[in-house]
Amino acid sequence: MKHVGTIAGRELKSLFVSPVAYVVLTLFSVLAGFFFLSSVLQFTEYVIRLQQFQLLDQLRELNLNDQVIAPFLGVMSVVLLFVIPGITMGLFAAEKANGTDELLLTSPLTIWEIVLGKYLAAAAFVMILVAMVALFPGLLFLYGNPEVPKTVAGLLGLFLVGLAYTAIGAFASSLTRSQVIAFVLAFVLLLLLWMLSFLADLGAAGGTMGSANNLSAFLRYLSSSDHFEQLVKGLIDTTDLVYFAILIGSFLLLAKAAIESVRWR
Amino acid sequence: MIAAKHLSKRYGDLLAVHDVSFDVAKGEVVGFLGPNGAGKTTTMRILTGFLPPSDGQAVIDGHDMFEDPLAARRSVGYLPESPPLYPEMDVQGYLTFVAKLKDVPRKERREAVSRALERCGLKDVRRRVIGALSKGFRQRVGLAQAIVHSPPVLILDEPTIGLDPIQIREIRGLIADLASPKGGETQHTVILSTHILPEVEAICRRVILIHRGSKVVDSPLSELTQGGRSLEQVFAQQTARDLAAPAESA
Repeated sequence: MKHVGTIAGRELKSLFVSPVAYVVLTLFSVLAGFFFLSSVLQFTEYVIRLQQFQLLDQLRELNLNDQVIAPFLGVMSVVLLFVIPGITMGLFAAEKANGTDELLLTSPLTIWEIVLGKYLAAAAFVMILVAMVALFPGLLFLYGNPEVPKTVAGLLGLFLVGLAYTAIGAFASSLTRSQVIAFVLAFVLLLLLWMLSFLADLGAAGGTMGSANNLSAFLRYLSSSDHFEQLVKGLIDTTDLVYFAILIGSFLLLAKAAIESVRWR
Repeated sequence: MIAAKHLSKRYGDLLAVHDVSFDVAKGEVVGFLGPNGAGKTTTMRILTGFLPPSDGQAVIDGHDMFEDPLAARRSVGYLPESPPLYPEMDVQGYLTFVAKLKDVPRKERREAVSRALERCGLKDVRRRVIGALSKGFRQRVGLAQAIVHSPPVLILDEPTIGLDPIQIREIRGLIADLASPKGGETQHTVILSTHILPEVEAICRRVILIHRGSKVVDSPLSELTQGGRSLEQVFAQQTARDLAAPAESA
């Protein structure tokens, strides 16, 4: 396992000497700022309206976590659907296009070391993204008093979602030598994963799947959005943590299998 | 040093390499010849552990590539047909990265990298970004990458392809140096593939010719060319003969 750091270090370094990292970070911070501002503006407008109608009870129940931070994190988790495939598309595809896979695969290291090293590099980048998101709720602490544990749980949720998306993106990248295909494939997989809960909602609402409530529950379990929302609500449950762990583990295994299979073809 | 035992490689219905066996002794420089598509690259990829053989065994420096892949790979330096370079890295950073991958101990890493830089004439460009180097220099970086961990075995796939005549001469000189080093440096056993015949005459003492996946010639260069025959005649004769005979892959 001693090569994991070597692989991760090189990957991160090349991410930061290429424009990719900076473009992603810049655009991501612009989006984060935009969505944060819109959450805050919506909140103030809501407060003003409640004051106008003298709805003091409702006004008392308002809090920054539910009205500002939760929707903001929700939108950012959707932004990650687009951003993460951009980070992961090159992980393995670029090595194949470059011919450098021949170097890695003829060096004395295991495929696990390659996969984990690459994954850790991308995960570190996702951590930077989440840290950037964290700055904005941080601002709220200057002017108000949101709940710290709930905010932290929400950010943890965003980070876990990011890590799971990264594993899926890594898998997509391991299947092809084209970064474009890796991007599109990752994006579609992530979108499906995210949309599964909508499908489940249709079932629960008595649509075509109405009778199969087990299926509905199963889809809901598979979908990333429900687990994420639990964390944003401040509920850190092992079920959700286990879900993310399984998701990450299985897609990294798939990536490893995909790289190995090239040798045996 | 290098033992190929009955290697075969099948891609679906295509038999790319068929029952190829040979031994290469320490310090030998073997030219691996054959027309394009003869199975040279496939054989070399099997010897370096990049591809598993469908059948047979590859043993490098006493380590079986399948049974003990990590030790076997540690003993090989490999320059693939297109050098495996990261264009965004600088030369020294890249070679340090490769040295880490190849398990060069931390203490010896600097020394190993500067030795490889020296031997391949890269001292002056060691801070340059690889993507900005000329093709000849990139090829040298590829070669430096293969020797940075002083492996006993070197496998070079068309090391001079796409270079200009002066660069070709330099690379050939370098390869000849690697096989017969001056004082203290590792003596490498070299297999290099090419379809440029003068290259073989310039640096190899032994020739293995493969054609349509099978070995057709394996003998010292001096024997092949005795009686005034040129290597080119031998090559033409061998590959033509097999064309007439029923192809073994069919």
